[in-house]
Amino acid sequence: MASEDRSVSHAPEKKEEAAATAGFDDLVDPRFQCCVCLELIYKPVVIACGHMSCFWCVHRAMDYHRQSYCAICRQPYIHFPSICQLLHHLLLKLEPVEYKKREKEVLETEKSNGTHSPQNIDLLYSKGNNYENGKDGDSKLEGSKIGFPGEDSVDVSCPLCKELLYQPAVLNCGHVYCVSCLPSLGDEALKCQVCGGLHPGGFPNVCLDLDHFLEEYFPSEYESRRNQLKPENSQYNPEGSSSGTSCSKDNMDRQAKGGTNVQKNLNLSNVHIGVGCDSCGVYPIMGMRYKCKDCTERIGFDLCGECYNNRSKLPGRFNQQHTSDHRMELDNTRLYGGLIAQLALIGAGGIGEAIADDHEIEDDTDEDAELL
Amino acid sequence: MVDVSRVQKELTECNRDSDVSGVSIALHDGGSTITHLTGTIAGPLDTPYQGGIFRIDIRLPGGYPFEPPKMQFITKVWHPNISSQNGAICLDILKDQWSPALTLKTALLSLQALLSTPAPDDPQDAVVAQQYLRDKSTFVNTARYWTEAYAKSDSTGMEEKVQKLVEMGFPEDMVRSALKSVNGDENMALEKLCSG
Repeated sequence: MASEDRSVSHAPEKKEEAAATAGFDDLVDPRFQCCVCLELIYKPVVIACGHMSCFWCVHRAMDYHRQSYCAICRQPYIHFPSICQLLHHLLLKLEPVEYKKREKEVLETEKSNGTHSPQNIDLLYSKGNNYENGKDGDSKLEGSKIGFPGEDSVDVSCPLCKELLYQPAVLNCGHVYCVSCLPSLGDEALKCQVCGGLHPGGFPNVCLDLDHFLEEYFPSEYESRRNQLKPENSQYNPEGSSSGTSCSKDNMDRQAKGGTNVQKNLNLSNVHIGVGCDSCGVYPIMGMRYKCKDCTERIGFDLCGECYNNRSKLPGRFNQQHTSDHRMELDNTRLYGGLIAQLALIGAGGIGEAIADDHEIEDDTDEDAELL
Repeated sequence: MVDVSRVQKELTECNRDSDVSGVSIALHDGGSTITHLTGTIAGPLDTPYQGGIFRIDIRLPGGYPFEPPKMQFITKVWHPNISSQNGAICLDILKDQWSPALTLKTALLSLQALLSTPAPDDPQDAVVAQQYLRDKSTFVNTARYWTEAYAKSDSTGMEEKVQKLVEMGFPEDMVRSALKSVNGDENMALEKLCSG
C-alpha cells in the first residue's frame, strides 16, 4: 500500500504519514469523520450541542414532523443550522484530496436528487455580506491563520475579540465565536455580528472537535488564550460543551429557554410536515408557513412566520434562486391537522387509524420529507 | 436506499478487532446482498451464556442508518428480554432510541451487554422474566443448559472444521463462507473449495 504525505499536521512543523490508497479509514485525524456516513465530514453543520456532521447527514437525520435529537448526545433541537464556513474551508485545507473527492460524490447525488446544498459557501463569508456593525476583516490575527504556501489561509480568529478562537461555539448561522464572547451578542437572543442573523434557542455549546484541533494546531497561542481568559471568565466551564456533561449556570438558563422553544413542537396539529424555514432553519415549521410562488426549484422556498415578518434576506438553504421581489403566500397544504382531515375524508379508515398508522403519513410525505 | 458505502465500512471496522470485542458480522449465508447479514456475539464471561456463540439475523431497512437495523436471535437463548420462541429482542436502541451515530457493531455490543444485565421489568418473554424474578437459580440453570444445547455444539464443531480446512491451505474467509453455504458439511465444503 503506497503511502503519501497528506499535509495533515497537528502542529505546523510536524507532518504525519497516512496511507493514500486506503481512503478515509486511515486518515490521521478521525475527529473530522462524520458519525453518520463514516466519511470525512463534507459541508460541516454544527448543531447547538456542539456536535457536527455533514450537511446532508444532519438534514436526513432530522425528524420531519417533530423535534430532532442529536445523533451523538440526543440533545433535542429543531433548527437546521447553516453550514459552518470556517470548518468548511478548514477541512478543504486539511484534507484537500479527500474533501474534493467528497465534493464530487455529493454533487453527483445532488444532481440525481435534483436538490442541492449551498454551492457558494464563500458568499456568506465575503465582506460585502458583513452586517451593519461587522468590522472589516483585515484586522484578522496573523498568527491564527492556517495557510499552506501559495494558497489562501483560513482565518480561525473570533470576529469579536479578533484573537484565536478559544472554546469556539457555532451559531445557527454557521459563524464561530469564542464561547466567552457570546454574551456580548445580546441578552435575550444572540445576534451574529457577521451576518446579523438571530440565533434561535439557547446558548450553543463549545464545538469540542474544533476546540481540540485549535489547541493542537496552535499550542502556544491557545495556551496564552487559556491563561488570559482563566481569571476573568472562570464561570465558563469548559465542560459546558459538546461532551454534554455539565453546563455553567448561564448556559443552563439559556438552554432552558431553548428547551421551551423545542417544547412548542409537541403540538402536532400546527406542524407543517416535512417543511423547513429557509431562513432560520426551523424544521418542521410550526404555525404560519409562507411559501414562495416564484421559486421553481423542486424543494421550494419557505419561511416561518417569524422570519417572514423579519424580512430575512438570507439565501435559501438549498441553493434556491430566491430573490426579494418573489411573491410569498400563506400555505397550509402540508399542515398536519389538514392532512389528517383529508385522510378522514378519503375514508382511509378513520382519523384514529390514520394517526396511529405512522407509515400512512410517511408514505404520503416520503418525497417531501427529505426536502425542506 | 441503504448507505452501502457506510455498511461496508462498518463490516471492515467491526471484523478488524472481532477477537477482542467478541462480535463479528458477515453476509447472511455467504450471500451477496448487503442488506441481510448475520452477526455473532460471544456469550459474556461469568454469565450463563459464557462460552456460547450466539448468531443474530440482521436486516437493514431502506432507511438505514436513519432507521434501526432489524435484529433477531437465530440461536435459541433463554433470557427475559429475548423471545424463547422466535428470538425477537426487546432493546430500546433497536427501536425508538436508535441513533444514526450507532453502528451494527455498537448494537451487537449492546446485545452482549443485554446478555450480562437482563431487564426483567421490561420483558420480551414473560415466562422467562417470571422465572428470573421468582426462581433465579432455575433461570440460571435453564439459561446455561440452553447455551450448552444451542450455542455451543454446533459452533465449536464449526471452528474445528474451519481449522482443518485452513490447515489444508484454503483462506479462512473462503472456508467460512463455503461451510456456511453448505450448512457446515465438511465434505461438501471441501468439494466447493476445490471446484473453485
